[in-house]
Amino acid sequence: MTHMVAINNKQHADLKVTDDALSLSANQHLVPVVVSELNKLVVHYPVVITKFDDSGQFGLSALLGFEEKENLFWQQGEWDAVYIPAQFERLPFYVGTEAQSADSSNRVLCIDMDNASVSEEKGTPLFDNTGEPSNYLLEKQQILAQLLDGETQNQRFIAALQQHNLITPFTLDITFENESKTSITGLYTIDEDKLAALSADAIADLHAQHMLQSIYTLIASNAQIYALIDKKNKANKNADAWFQTTN
Amino acid sequence: MTTATPITHIVVVGGGSAGWLTAGRIAAQHQCATRKNIKVTLIESPNVPIIGVGEGTWPTMRSTLIALGISETTFIKECDATFKQGAKFAKWTTGEEHDFYYHPLMLPQGFSQTNLGPYWQTVAPELNESFSHAVCVQEAICEAGCAPKSIRHAEFAGTANYAYHLDAGKFTAFLTKYCTEKLGVHHVLADVNRVESSNNGDIKALHTEQGVTVEGDLFVDCTGFKSMLLGEHYKVPFIPCDDVLFIDRALAVHVPYDTPQSPIASHTISTAQDAGWIWDIGLQSRRGVGHVYSSRHQSKDDAYARLDTYVRQTSTLNGIDGIKVKDITIQSGHRQRFWQNNCVAVGLAAGFLEPLEASALVLVELSASMIAEQLPANRAVMDIVAKRFNDTFSYRWQRIIDFLKLHYMLSKREDSAFWRDNRDSHTIPDSLKELLALWQYHPPSDKDFTSNNEVFPAASYQYVLYGMGFTSDLGAHQQWVNADFAKQQLMQNRKARGMAVEKLPKHRELINKIHQFGLQAV
Repeated sequence: MTHMVAINNKQHADLKVTDDALSLSANQHLVPVVVSELNKLVVHYPVVITKFDDSGQFGLSALLGFEEKENLFWQQGEWDAVYIPAQFERLPFYVGTEAQSADSSNRVLCIDMDNASVSEEKGTPLFDNTGEPSNYLLEKQQILAQLLDGETQNQRFIAALQQHNLITPFTLDITFENESKTSITGLYTIDEDKLAALSADAIADLHAQHMLQSIYTLIASNAQIYALIDKKNKANKNADAWFQTTN
Repeated sequence: MTTATPITHIVVVGGGSAGWLTAGRIAAQHQCATRKNIKVTLIESPNVPIIGVGEGTWPTMRSTLIALGISETTFIKECDATFKQGAKFAKWTTGEEHDFYYHPLMLPQGFSQTNLGPYWQTVAPELNESFSHAVCVQEAICEAGCAPKSIRHAEFAGTANYAYHLDAGKFTAFLTKYCTEKLGVHHVLADVNRVESSNNGDIKALHTEQGVTVEGDLFVDCTGFKSMLLGEHYKVPFIPCDDVLFIDRALAVHVPYDTPQSPIASHTISTAQDAGWIWDIGLQSRRGVGHVYSSRHQSKDDAYARLDTYVRQTSTLNGIDGIKVKDITIQSGHRQRFWQNNCVAVGLAAGFLEPLEASALVLVELSASMIAEQLPANRAVMDIVAKRFNDTFSYRWQRIIDFLKLHYMLSKREDSAFWRDNRDSHTIPDSLKELLALWQYHPPSDKDFTSNNEVFPAASYQYVLYGMGFTSDLGAHQQWVNADFAKQQLMQNRKARGMAVEKLPKHRELINKIHQFGLQAV
């Protein structure tokens, strides 16, 4: 359960957050990401285009595993990569809306009071003695702002891809070292043939909108699927080793 | 016109769904909007109202929309369209309260590898599941009120096979705009009042009351029941089949939903009556309900009363008094030929059958695609194409008549003359009698249908036959039953059924989401 409240420096003057905020949410094989973090994501993660369950609209996601709830980057309570996707990094904070009047609302910073990392006892404080936000809180605010801006940027990016028919479905068929197989559907990526066939005008247009680089970064990130398979093979070996020693 | 004259101008007469689908299909195939080798003109009377036939389609409509380049999202939004996953036939076999069976749009499980009919027949007594439920996921999906796909499926893709229910009037208006704006079809609003012939009997030109004359190389008659070119001008005889199919009248109404968010059925519901049956088709904004009946067996007043009762039972409406009731006369049958000289008829101008298996629009689509794909290059080869077209469609009409009759002749209803008369051997075509004679001893299979031009696959015969309680005497021929494999297939279907119902959204919910978000192209 989540229990979200808007943060203020009076009520929450003594609130602290430990660094295991994401342990409750880590077990997922896809996480939504934003265009502005592509340059960092590409170092570790395959970034794919997926559809939201409730709307069927396209969004961007980093692939973390090969089955539901499998996150190969989450190892023994630690995130096994230097860059953590913003969607995880922001936890346990959220952006909420607060109604100002009947027709206007404000964005407010919220915290999930039910997250085990939140308490008044231990962790990094949200505010300093004078009631000013701590560096920790400022950093989280920045990440949330990035995610918020990212929503609009993502929509513009997806719309541009659709305009040029650049989105194509693909199926990931993988056989792991231990001969187990998996097939993941519902994934989409950039159609490289169509991209190569775009007119000079279309390319110039995408470039002017600062999207060309994102397109190529997204394509480049596909190669991280091999690194992810490698992680899975190692995880399988660890599991096999476990069974051999216990049997 | 000399025999080597190339065919470059196709003139379609009539602006109903038949006219626009045919004009659009030809224009799309020959890229009339960008290339100028072929020109398509549609002449439509500004004064003749459109008869909205067949609000039910076949899954072929998906390929037709794709061929025309129409977005499924736009089509759903503009045409009040919904998803159709087959038909539910209620009270056709015994007429009792819980008597129903489904004719779904998906093949039985493992159909390419095995024929589950015989196995189902042997285990049916203990299994206690209807054939369509035991071998196919779709009955469960329909009964649960679910859509065949989710908002995450691309346009024209889905978990289950599907067709559409649509508002024929809106569909025609949509096609008019689309075909003229996107596909390069020329639109002439005028009343044809004279046909000018060439020496060889071909149509040279059409003259109109408004003074416009339209010359052409090929004329497509989509003038509805009037059959202005094929029937009136060429006098090609009409072959009635009212000796086989007795339906000759219809009363139709639009029934509002109880609330704007009422569930929408994802199948056509056909409920048998004393002297005919009632169709019930769920669109987004209303239901289309109508009673087709045999005027030889029932008066119009009685038909009205039956329709009134049905509407009372299935809605909160207090009957149909005060609602506009359309009274339609139906002549079942078709023209002896469909293509004569340089004129081919499509739609009602070619013939009409009761909408029991939604055959009207599918025949339009099949005709339009054959004309578009096999468009004769010049007048010299047109007669060959015409002959093939005539052979193909004579066969198809016959097969449809047989298949419709099958629904009636298998009934066990004794309660009225209409049902008893339908089983009279003199009213059953020989071709159908032969099939049933064969199936007394072996289960219906694809091997019984040898033509490339079949309209209904063997699976459809199975759904109707087993749905209506037909059994084959398999006797010594137990080779039909591969119990292990069949059992496994039934298990698989049971699993798929549960998953489909759990994962698929309700029909209304999906329609709402399509309005809100649209379906993606991929």
